[in-house]
Formats: sequence, C-alpha cells, structure tokens
Amino acid sequence: MSAELDLARMRRERHRKLVDALDAQGLAAAVLLGQANVAYAIGARAPAADAARAAHQRAVAVVTADGAAPHLYTAFPDGVPPELPADHVHAALPVEWPEGAVSLLDVLPEGPIAVDEYTMPFHAALAGRDIADATTILSACKVVKTPDELECIRRAQSINEQAILDVEHLVGPGVRGTDLSGAFLRRIFELGATANTVDPIWQKMPSRISDGPYSLTGDLVFPTPTTDQPFAAGDVMWVDTGIDYHGYASDFGCTFVVGGPTPVQRDQGARWREILDRCLDVLKPGATGGDLVRAASANEARRPWPAHLYLAHGIGTNSAEMPLVGTDLGADFDDALTLVSGMVVVFEPLVWDDGAAGFRAEEIVAVTDDGYEHLSGRDGGPRG
Amino acid sequence: MAEGLERTLGEMARRDVDVLVLGREGNARFVSDATRLWLAGTRPFAPGCVVVRETEAVHLLSITDFGVPPDIAPERLYAMSWNPENIMGAVAGIPGVSEARRLGADGLTPLFEQLFAGTLPNAELVDGEAVIRAARRIKSPAEVDRIRAAVAVAEDALGAAVDALQPGVREFELKGVFEERMCRLGTTIPAFEGTFCVVDDGPIRRLVSDRAIADGDLVAMNAGVLLDGWEGSLARTWPCGAPTAEDHRRRSSWNELWGRLVGQCETGARVRDLRQTGPDGRATVHGVGLGYEGLEDDAVLRPGMVIQLELEASGILGADTLLIGDHRREALTMFPPAAVGR
Repeated sequence: MSAELDLARMRRERHRKLVDALDAQGLAAAVLLGQANVAYAIGARAPAADAARAAHQRAVAVVTADGAAPHLYTAFPDGVPPELPADHVHAALPVEWPEGAVSLLDVLPEGPIAVDEYTMPFHAALAGRDIADATTILSACKVVKTPDELECIRRAQSINEQAILDVEHLVGPGVRGTDLSGAFLRRIFELGATANTVDPIWQKMPSRISDGPYSLTGDLVFPTPTTDQPFAAGDVMWVDTGIDYHGYASDFGCTFVVGGPTPVQRDQGARWREILDRCLDVLKPGATGGDLVRAASANEARRPWPAHLYLAHGIGTNSAEMPLVGTDLGADFDDALTLVSGMVVVFEPLVWDDGAAGFRAEEIVAVTDDGYEHLSGRDGGPRG
Repeated sequence: MAEGLERTLGEMARRDVDVLVLGREGNARFVSDATRLWLAGTRPFAPGCVVVRETEAVHLLSITDFGVPPDIAPERLYAMSWNPENIMGAVAGIPGVSEARRLGADGLTPLFEQLFAGTLPNAELVDGEAVIRAARRIKSPAEVDRIRAAVAVAEDALGAAVDALQPGVREFELKGVFEERMCRLGTTIPAFEGTFCVVDDGPIRRLVSDRAIADGDLVAMNAGVLLDGWEGSLARTWPCGAPTAEDHRRRSSWNELWGRLVGQCETGARVRDLRQTGPDGRATVHGVGLGYEGLEDDAVLRPGMVIQLELEASGILGADTLLIGDHRREALTMFPPAAVGR
C-alpha cells in the first residue's frame, strides 16, 4: 500500500466532475439520497448498516451546479470530510416522513433538479415538479476513475485478498461458512477495511445444476446466502466477498476445493485462465464490451457466465456499476460500450462441467492508455 | 399463511391498496420470511417482492428457492434482469397486478416512476411503506421471541468485545471481535457495524478508528445483529480497567436522566416527548423488528411495540430494547450496564 492516496483531492475531483455534468445538462442541483451516491459526491461516511437502518439514518447531499461546496445532511458528524465548510453540514433530514421531506424542499435551489431516488414522502413532496434522473448523471461521472479512486479500489482489494489468505488455513472438512465469515470479518477490520458490504459467500456448489438448488432459469444458481452447514472433503466452494475502503468496494472471487483440487479441477482453473487471458488480450482503450464477450466466448460451448449475471462489471462506490458487460441488456448494449482509460473492469467468468462442478474466480483490472493494469492479484487456480 | 403476510393483507384492505411492490428487504422478509443475500446500505428501489391482495400471494424476485419458504411456490418467483423494463414486465405479468387500482410502493426512483406509469397506467401509486410499517409495528409473541433470540446473540457478542477491552486494544479490533463472535453464534449479519469508540469531550464518535484504548478510557459500545432477519442490539459504555470517580459521576447523572426516560415508556406515551430530553442529553427512539423500524414523532406507544431507547448524556451512551406492555415495559436487553459484577 505504498502508492500515493490523497482523499481530499479525490473528493475535489469527483465534485468538479459532478458539477460540470450538472452544468452541461442545464440542471441547478442534484439531490442525492442513495448512500453510494452521497459517498461519491461528498465522501461522507456512515457506519455500514442493514438497509432499513441505512435508509432511516441516510445522509442526503445537495450538490449545486454553481460549484459551491455541497450541502450535507447527516446523523454522523464524525464521518464528514474535514474540508466541508461548517455551514454546509446540517443535521440529518428525516426524509422517511412527510415533514422531513418537505423541509428538504425548502433547501433546494430554484430551477431544474435531478434526484437519484425517492422515499415515498419525498416523492409526494415533489409532485408536479419536473425531475431529472440523477442516477444516469452519476453513472457517467463514476465510470472513469481518477488515480486516487483507483488507489482506493486497489487498497480495498488488497485488504480483501490478504484476509482471504489469512482465513484459508481454516478451509477443511467440518468448517462452516459462518466460521469462515467470522474469521474473515475480524481480519478485514484489523487490516484497515472501512466496512464490510456483502454477507461473505462460501457457497457449496453441486456437481450438476440439476442436483439443486432449484433454478428458475435452468442455469447455475449463484450466489446464495451463507449457512452453518459444515463442508466435507471434496466439496467445491465458490467464494465471493466484498469490503469497503473509504467508500470504494472490493470484489474478490475464488474457488476452494476442500481437501485440495483434483487434476480435473486444476484443468478447470487452467481453462478459466485461458478465458480471462483471451479477454485481457483484447482489453485496451477503444475495445468494446462486445469484443470482451466474443473473446470470452470463443471456443466455448456456452457463454462462460450465468445468464442472469455478467462477464464483467465496473466497481467503485457501487459494488457493481458501469461498465456492465455480457448482461441481458444484450449484444447491442455490449457493442455500444467502448472502453476508455480509467475504467475498471471486474471479470468474473466461470467454467462449468455439469457432473463435475466448476471453477469461478474474479480478477480486476483498470484500463490504461495502452492496455490495462491489474488492481487485484492474478488468480492461480483452485485453492485448498 | 405467514403471520406477516396476514397482517399486511389486513392493512392493505384497511387502506384500500390492491398491490404492494416492495424494494426494501425487511419489508420483503416480513411478508415472505425469505432469506436472500444480504447487502449493506441503501439500495435504490427495485421491485424485489410483490403482494397481491386479491390472490393473497407473495411473489419474489429470486432465481432459486434457496432460502425461500415452501409456501411460496416456484411459479411465484421471477428472475432478475439488468433491464428494468424486463423486471417491470415480470411484475405486470403477475396475476392481479394489471387490474390494480391502487398500488403501493415502498420507495421509488425516477426510472421506476416512469416504468410504473407506462406499464400500469391505470394504477394510482401510493405510499406502500406506510402500509407495511403499520402492519409491522405491533409484534406478536412469536416475533418478540425472535427478537429475544437475536438479543441473546448480540449480548453474547458484546460480552466478547468487553472481554477484549484491555489497554492497547484498538477500536476496530473490538468491532472485529464482536462480529467474529456473532458469526460463531450462527449469524453473519450485523444490524449495523458497531460503535466501539473512546469517549472524549463533545459528542460521542460513532465510527470506529484505529485508536488504541488506554487504561481508564471510557468506551462507548453500540452493536447489534440480525438473526434470521430479526434485530438484537444494545449500547453500553464501559471503562477500560477500573471505573474512576469521574466515571461514577457521569454514570449517576446518566442514570438519573435514563430512569426518567424509561419511566415514560408506557402505553400512551408520545414518541416526540421521549425524544425531548432537554439540553443535558440526546435521546433517540425507534422501532425494532426485522431490523430498524421507523417511528414518527406523532407515534404513540402501544402494547406489543418493541422499541430501542438510546440516551447519550454526560459522555455515556446506553440503549436498551424495550417491549411495551399493557401496564408495564419489559427490557429485552439485560447486559450489565457497567463493569460492576462482570
């Protein structure tokens, strides 16, 4: 973790991008209720929490197109960035209730505004007003990362990977997913994680899809919530975890085979490597999402990822954001997506041999001026 | 029929709502009792669960029945999609939805507002959160038992953190100890990432830091778990090492305010009044059930409500979960208030 990171500079550059985007769209302000958007626009922190608590204790950001410092309404003063002027930091607005929603109206500037999401009282309070969708504006700002953002993702991923290395010795017959989660969560905080963002997944994979659990699509079921069922020798375990470092998500995936992989399983890992390397071979500015889809799918009997997920996604203050590649948005969507320097791509293809389970891992790269650089480690095949 | 669904259908009938479209996981869990992957933080609204009054059916966005109770048949699952129009199409195809006159949503985005208007033009969109909030508010004895079970896990895990409260331990390590213990007890889901913060002058910090705790420090601890979705949480402030005379003074002034506050927590009390403690402290009150439940200022305590009462005063943070009864209240949290006797 030696590379330079300047959080204040990162916040300043993100705010400037957002202000420019608002100005370009002729909007007076963006009102942000989504916590990943508030994190992006202001860098305010709040304790990670279950969705209902997070909603009731949500921070609200008002970003104006005049470039002035944004206004922040928060219940967590110790999570306020130090450079935010004191008169721009306010007590939390209870936007779950009509009176709080109305009081938010009182602080909005004149003119057209964008909103990312509504509580129902806020929606009612805005009735009759023309509202632009802030999500698309934020999405366009977020998709290309600044060097500081890339460093946050790199650090988040490094903590996540180290924590997995530190719990790896626990993987053996009899271990429960809940035990692995406990060791993992303790370790990420010791390593400096700001928060955990997803219930760590340690999913026992069936040999064949028809062994269950039931699949609505007929395709692989993944991910499912962690249980306290013990693992047994020979079990194939797909791991998927994500933590937060100063607002930025990691995304780690790997495959454990309890008791160690067989030659067949090592071969699955090698075939996954080939898929990923084919993707990396075409990855550079100007390549499209469609190019990645075709590279991954070449020589494969089927697309090497489940129909309800993706070949790759972006990551930032959201754990999955643009660029989305290989989704059910379709081939035209993928072909229209052109990669540019500063985008982050989380690859998560998989190899599945129905009857012999399969292999899944993830690797994160950032697009550079002439290719790409890894923000994650390179996966080395099945572990255990 | 699941208890939560029955109460929700009753509330829908009372408020003349034909269909509920739910994006909030706690709401979906209340009507379905399904366990889906847990994610921290707010998520923008998307139709994750649909309740139709006419058919009394719950439909869930899920590609599997893993974690889904057997009374929700596979044909009541609909698949996720990256194209919101597909999800809206799946919702509109659910029997009874296209005929709905009044449709309640528990949140909205500009995109889904458009999709609702375009796909279900005849439905009036109303506040679905208010419907389900009302259904969730009064707890059945079985629900109280689930909260008790979650509290037992939270208190055990807090005990592990207190045991680790030794000079030199860092704040974030206590958070890690709490969560590790929580997982060993069978749940991997915190209600929120806990506060384990040294008390300084001024408001108590809520975000843990890497600060090393010193002998004599007072440490505010606020933590909780979700067990099968149900919340157990509490706050205590303990000294690292033996309590000082200053600690005793702080505690006695906190106790005085707390005693008055708890005494007010009776059937008929207004939440607004509980929140107004005057200049000497800051009290917060919210509902506890399938996670955090909101209480409006005008809400009145009624038998069967479970609330979290939290008071920060004199550099002490404390919170208990209280079950409101007909004539008395019962503290569901029983962790010792201070170092004495542990």
